[in-house]
Amino acid sequence: MLAIFKKEVAVYFLTPFGYVFMGLFLLLSGIVFSIYNLWGARGDIYGMFGVLNFVSIVIFPVLTMKLLAEEKRMATDQLLFSSPVTITSIILGKYFAALFVYLVTLCATGVYAAFIMIFSKTSLGAIIGSYVGFALLGAAYIAICLFASSLTDSQVTSAIIGFGFLFGFMIVGLLTNAIPFLFLKRVVSWFAILSKYEEFANGLLKIGPLVYYLSFAVGFVFLTIIVVKGRLREKGGAKHEKDRH
Amino acid sequence: MVEVINLTKMYGNKVGVKNVSFTAQKGEIIGFLGPNGAGKTTTMNVITGCKPATEGRVLIAGYDIAEKPLEAKKPLGYLPEIPPIYPELKVKSYLKFICGLKGVGREKRESHIGEIMELVKIMDVKDRVIKNLSKGYRQRVGLAQALISKPDVLVLDEPTVGLDPKQIHEMRSLIKSLGKEHTIILSSHILAEVSMVCDRVIIIKKGEIAAIDTPENLSKNMASAECFTAKIKGPAEKILPLIKEIDGVLSVKLDKDKNDSKPEYLSYIIENKKSIDVRTPLFFKLAGLGYPIYEMKSVPINLEDIFLQLTAEEKERAEVN
Repeated sequence: MLAIFKKEVAVYFLTPFGYVFMGLFLLLSGIVFSIYNLWGARGDIYGMFGVLNFVSIVIFPVLTMKLLAEEKRMATDQLLFSSPVTITSIILGKYFAALFVYLVTLCATGVYAAFIMIFSKTSLGAIIGSYVGFALLGAAYIAICLFASSLTDSQVTSAIIGFGFLFGFMIVGLLTNAIPFLFLKRVVSWFAILSKYEEFANGLLKIGPLVYYLSFAVGFVFLTIIVVKGRLREKGGAKHEKDRH
Repeated sequence: MVEVINLTKMYGNKVGVKNVSFTAQKGEIIGFLGPNGAGKTTTMNVITGCKPATEGRVLIAGYDIAEKPLEAKKPLGYLPEIPPIYPELKVKSYLKFICGLKGVGREKRESHIGEIMELVKIMDVKDRVIKNLSKGYRQRVGLAQALISKPDVLVLDEPTVGLDPKQIHEMRSLIKSLGKEHTIILSSHILAEVSMVCDRVIIIKKGEIAAIDTPENLSKNMASAECFTAKIKGPAEKILPLIKEIDGVLSVKLDKDKNDSKPEYLSYIIENKKSIDVRTPLFFKLAGLGYPIYEMKSVPINLEDIFLQLTAEEKERAEVN
């Protein structure tokens, strides 16, 4: 797993992907910080994360689009599959590499947070809460987009599918209000990924939302492992087809 | 070392390979020979665990690749048809990554990589980005990757594709020397290569094994006809019909390449049915008529002929259908 993690992190910074992700992330947060916090003279960090939240459905697919789709396209997955490593460690290595790049980027925005802390009276709890919340949200987003990357051998398709998933999870919160049945409403609202984020932003570190995002991340990483393993396992269908002939 | 038992791989309803069985001993080089689409790559992908088998088993060093993949893949090095390289990495960092993947100890890595790079002659490009390398170098980097951790079993899918004649020669001698310590399974559609390098040849067509034997035995046994040359003194227009009359002779023609220097002794290429030795009746017949035979020499039918024969059969069958 460590070998794959290291290689993926290295590849992020040998290709434009790492720079594009970091650049976009920091550029947008910088613009928002300048307009919202500096010119607007506001002492909270909601504005920055609000905007980042919105654009994350575009930039996270960029971060993960290459991870599995490119291996398949370049046939380098044959190297991984014929090596003495488990599929789980391959997927986890890739997942943690993307997560690492994301967390490093997020840490870089700490400069803005430091400014806000020094020049305003915002509570430390609210800032830490926002950061933890956004880190977890990102962890879930990366897992979802990694799953998207496992479904195809084209990076562009992978990014589009990732975008579709994230967009879907985002608007699901709006749809819940339109559902008349209570049970269904509850089920659907569980997938409203942004709704839990608010709790972090208020500076409350509750176990519920934490588990929620972690289970999202674990769930989608698990799905990715199933998809990749499925490709390496014979489906029963072929056998039955043959018996029939 | 490698045991393949009744391997079948279906792609939906299409047969990839069917009932392929063979074993490869330690230090043996086995060559897969077959036309494009015969199932060579499929077999290799299943052997290396990159694709699942529909039926049958693959054992590497006694471990089933489907049931104990980690143990089975440990002594395995695989060079797929397209070398599995990451174009953005440098050669050395790529090989370092492979060391990590194959569990080569950190302290040994540097010297091990140096050794392998020396062996496949890529030392001069070690600090170059793989993207910028030529096809031949990429192929060699791919081979270096397969050799990392000195695996007991090497599976090489068309290892000489894309190399120039000098590199092909080097690659073949490298494979031959590696064959002393490793078990090698390689595929190729170049017959000369297989007969030159391999201890045993598996001819595969339409996903099934058509023949397994040493290149020499294949040439001997597989051919339905035998061939020999005879040097005879006398006029060709009289001798040609005489030979044709002999029972068992399939064809006879003048060997144009050899008939320039001494026109009184003419060389003939005679093809006869495998079951009938026509040399004795030929000798007595020509001796009786006063045409002495100066030389008779059998010509081994090469793998190329067998290969063409096999594929021609297929063509004929297709035409009949």
